[in-house]
Formats: sequence, structure tokens, C-alpha cells
Amino acid sequence: MAIRETPGSKVMAPLSAAPAVAGHTGGISARMSKRRTAGSASPDGDARTAFWLMAPALALYGVFTLLPIAATFWLSFNSSAGFNTSASFVGVDNYTKAAHDPIVWKSLVHTFIWLAGHVVMAGGLGLLLALAVSRLRTTQVFFRTAFFLPHLVSLAVVGVIWANIYDPFFGLLNTALTRIGLGAFTKGWLSDPALVLFSVNVASSWQGFGLYMLLFIAGLQNIDRSLYDAVEVDGANAFQKLIYVTLPGLREVMTFVVSLAMINGLKGFATVFVMTNGGPFYQSELITTYIYRLAFQSQDHGLAAVLCILLSLLAIVITIIFNRWRARLSQ
Amino acid sequence: MSVRHREWPVALALTPVLILILAPFVWLVISSFKTEAEIGQADPFTWPADLMWRNYLDAWQIGGFGELVGNSLLNLIGVVALSLITCAPAGYALAKIRFPGREWLFYAFILGLTVPVQAIVIPLYQVLFGLNLVNTLAGIVLVQVSNGIPFGIFLMRSFFIGVPDDLIEAAKIDGASHIQILTKVFLPISTPAVQALVIISALSTWNDFFLPLIVLISPDVQTLPLGLVRFASTYASDYRLVFSGTVISFLPIILLYILMQRRFTEGLTQGAIKG
Repeated sequence: MAIRETPGSKVMAPLSAAPAVAGHTGGISARMSKRRTAGSASPDGDARTAFWLMAPALALYGVFTLLPIAATFWLSFNSSAGFNTSASFVGVDNYTKAAHDPIVWKSLVHTFIWLAGHVVMAGGLGLLLALAVSRLRTTQVFFRTAFFLPHLVSLAVVGVIWANIYDPFFGLLNTALTRIGLGAFTKGWLSDPALVLFSVNVASSWQGFGLYMLLFIAGLQNIDRSLYDAVEVDGANAFQKLIYVTLPGLREVMTFVVSLAMINGLKGFATVFVMTNGGPFYQSELITTYIYRLAFQSQDHGLAAVLCILLSLLAIVITIIFNRWRARLSQ
Repeated sequence: MSVRHREWPVALALTPVLILILAPFVWLVISSFKTEAEIGQADPFTWPADLMWRNYLDAWQIGGFGELVGNSLLNLIGVVALSLITCAPAGYALAKIRFPGREWLFYAFILGLTVPVQAIVIPLYQVLFGLNLVNTLAGIVLVQVSNGIPFGIFLMRSFFIGVPDDLIEAAKIDGASHIQILTKVFLPISTPAVQALVIISALSTWNDFFLPLIVLISPDVQTLPLGLVRFASTYASDYRLVFSGTVISFLPIILLYILMQRRFTEGLTQGAIKG
């Protein structure tokens, strides 16, 4: 999902270990078992048909995704000072340069803080609300729909909304605090270097939690009701039901949501770009915003490419770790 | 779970949380009807004396929102159509035809599913530049489709895999080709997958910011989120314009969602889980 960014953003990993929907499960691990049976209907002559069926997707994907991935790798070993300049091979110079660039380290640390904050705030809120909302019957659809509304808004628009909420003089936050007598708590939410990363992360998490809530609700619906009856017979109270039935039943969804939230956190860009552009003093700079700055403003493409490789590796490592974890859970 | 008796206590406890979560929307909508002087009073708990519909007229005209919405719609239609055309056949081939190199393709698509688009942005821009696609809606459509292809293919594939091979055998005996099997047998029974693909690609396209920021440079080709950000930074001190422009940017999608919330919810959860 796109989210991707846009949830829309596009969603990461294929998973077979998800709360299975009506019999169709797919994904990486299912592939291994399906491989032998899936093609059984096809004699060798079908290879050409397969090629033509794949051709449109492959052409686009090759030109606009695979080629740029390879080119980024190549670029990280070359020096280039802009889009219309020629590049020359410099070995690992860009990598050593990156290692000595304090802003690279800063943006890396910020990115980790950012994605941890996103997992805790957006993932945590999503879980809590799912637990509450799924207890409802008559008003469930209303609450589910209403809580999901922020997720429909583009992260860029979220940035504009929250930049205004945080506006020191006319913003919702400071004016509301003043009006209810908590004027002492008003702050320069986006100008205070110690606060800025947290403030922007709150905006991003406000947009993000809705999807996680939906996924948790779907997971809760898949927990076998008879398990609750079983512990109820043993006299379990609500808290014990949560600990012994609900949370274990959510393990697989939880690993999925955590990995999704981490990847979404890793890709965080729009809110920071719109609200602070990495400032003040690089205090909200993320890897992604630094890449943008290097690529399109200071035009240091070699260094930018190293950061691109770093970003990709982080995404790949997170994906692999969580796929393994999920595969183990589903055994 | 016998929790029916908890309905109203839980709903009551959730209400303040809901008010907090939705406060940004409510505040923006109310503020967007205020005069600049009323906004200057810095009191979020007052109503505007008169509803300033003028704010919306001014924002719409000054910000060129008509053009932005038009561009966003063209962008969305292009991406959704092209995603279906590319992902459905490819997902079918990966699910139901055995051919040499299938394993390889699989890993190539997983790579693209994992690598964030921000990490390939420099060569991506160069490719678009070389093809004369910078600053065109065609360029942004092609890039966004390519970006969504791994997800779309896995989504369609995981649905198609569940369709019994017997159906293919039967259709083949009747002399059907793979294309016919795909369009006449598979697609008609794949509404949930198609619905998920349409909703997810539409929502992510409508809301995309990063790629339009790179590709769409002049205002007359820009999409809604990008146009709003430009508008909000140009008129940063005209709060009434920024507020009403922001409401214009989020209201249509929210109304559409409320009208079709069941389809949205199904599509998004199914897509997230099965992609």
C-alpha cells in the first residue's frame, strides 16, 4: 500500500502467515509449496505466452525500477557533481566521505528514533483502539470509520495541517493550551531543536495508526471464539483473557504491523519535508530528506547514492528479519 | 466473547479519544470560515460570526485548485488503469504458468518491493529526463505504476493461485488461450483482488507527494498534495487561504471514503495482508 507513503502506500512483504482470508494464502513461503502444483496445467509451449503476459509489467519495471537500482549502486562508486555532468570512478571514496559526514550520522540516528517512535505511537495506538473498537457491536462501524479518517489524508497535506496546529501564535495546540489555562505548556513545537523530531513524528503517526488499527481488528476477528469460552470456564477475568488468548492470537498480525510500521517509518519524508525541511540545525533531518537535499540541492550524487544504498540495505534487513520471524511463528 | 453489555461504557470511553483524534479536522474546517481578524484572536473555541465562503472562492481561484484536482484525477485514472493492465496478466503468468526464469523474476520483484523509491531517485530522474518525461503527467504515471508493480503482481498472483487448476484444464479443452482464460475465467471471479488493487493504487496515487515533487515541476502539471504545499508556503501568512485550501485538499477523499467505507476497509486490509 502505498503508503504508502501513500498507504497508501505500498505495503511490504508478502506474507502467507497473515490472518488468512477465506482460503487464499500466498506469499513467499507458500510459493515453495505451490511451485510444483501451480504450473501443472502448462506444457512447455506456454513459456512464450508467459513472456508476453509478463512483458508490459517487465518493460516498465525494468526501465523505472530495476535499472535505477543498478545505476544507484554504480553511482555510489563514482563522483558526480550534478545531473548534467560526467561521472568518474572513485572507488569507495563516497563511502569514506559518508562515514566522516556528521550529518549522515545525525540523519541515521534520527531515522532510527523516528521509526521507533512511529512503531510505538502509531502501532501502539492502532493496537489499543483495535482492542477497544472490536468490543463494540452497534457502534463499531462508526468508530472504525471515524478513527480511520486521518489515514486518508496525504502525508504532505498532513504536514500542512500540523504545521498550522503547531504554529506558535495561531496554531490549535498553543491557543487551546492557553485558553484552558495551561499556557505554561505552550512551546515552539517546530523551532525547539529538542522537540522538533517528536513533534513531526506525532503528525506522521496521527496519519499512520488507522491502517494498523484495521489490520489489528482483522486479526482480532480471526481469533477462535471457543478459546475465550474455554478460559471463561476456567474462571478467567478480562485481563487474563487479554494475556492468554488475545495477545498470543495477535502475534502474527503484530509482527506484520511492526514490520510495516518500521518500513513506513524508514520511508518517512513528506511530513518532515513540508513542516521543517530537516531543520532547525538538521535536528529533524532523516536519511530520506538528506538524500533529497544532496540529490536536488547540493547535487553531490556520489554521497547521495551511498545514502541510497544504506537506506535500501536497512529496508532489506528489516524485511528479511521479519519474514524469518513470521515463518517461525507460523510453524 | 460475551461482551455485548460493554457496548456503551466502551463507546463512552472512546468518545474523548475520538474528539482528540478528529480535532485537527474540526479546527481547520471551523477556522477556514473565519475572517483573518477572527483567526488573529487565537481562540480555537469560538465560532466565526459569519461563514466566510469567500475564503473558499479565493483559495480555489488563487491556488488554481481546479487544475490541481483535474491533474490528480488524470494521474489516478492513468495509474489505476495501467496497473490493472500490467499486473493482472503478470500475476496470472506467475501463478499459473511454469516457465524458465520464473524464480528469477520472483526475486527481482521482491527486490523492488523492498527498496524504497527514495533510494533510486537520482537515476530515476535521469531516466525520465532522457525520455523527455520530466514535468509530464505521463512521466509520473509510468513511474508510479512501476513503483506499484511488485505489490500489484503479488496481490493478483496470491489470489490467482487459489483458483483451481481444473478450471484452466476445462477451458483449455474448450480451446481457450491463456489470454482468454485470464479475461473470461479468472478476472470475473477475482473481484476482491481487483477491488483491493484499484483502491490501494488509487489512494496511494492520490496522496503521493515524493514522486510528484521530483517529476512535476511547473504548477500547471502538479497534483493536489504538491500544489497545496506550494500554495501553503506561498501564502503562509494568509491563514484563511491556507486553511480553506487545506480543507479543499482533504475533504473529497474523506467524503468518498464515508460513502464507500466498507469497500475501502475490505480492499485495504485484504491488500495489506495478501500483497
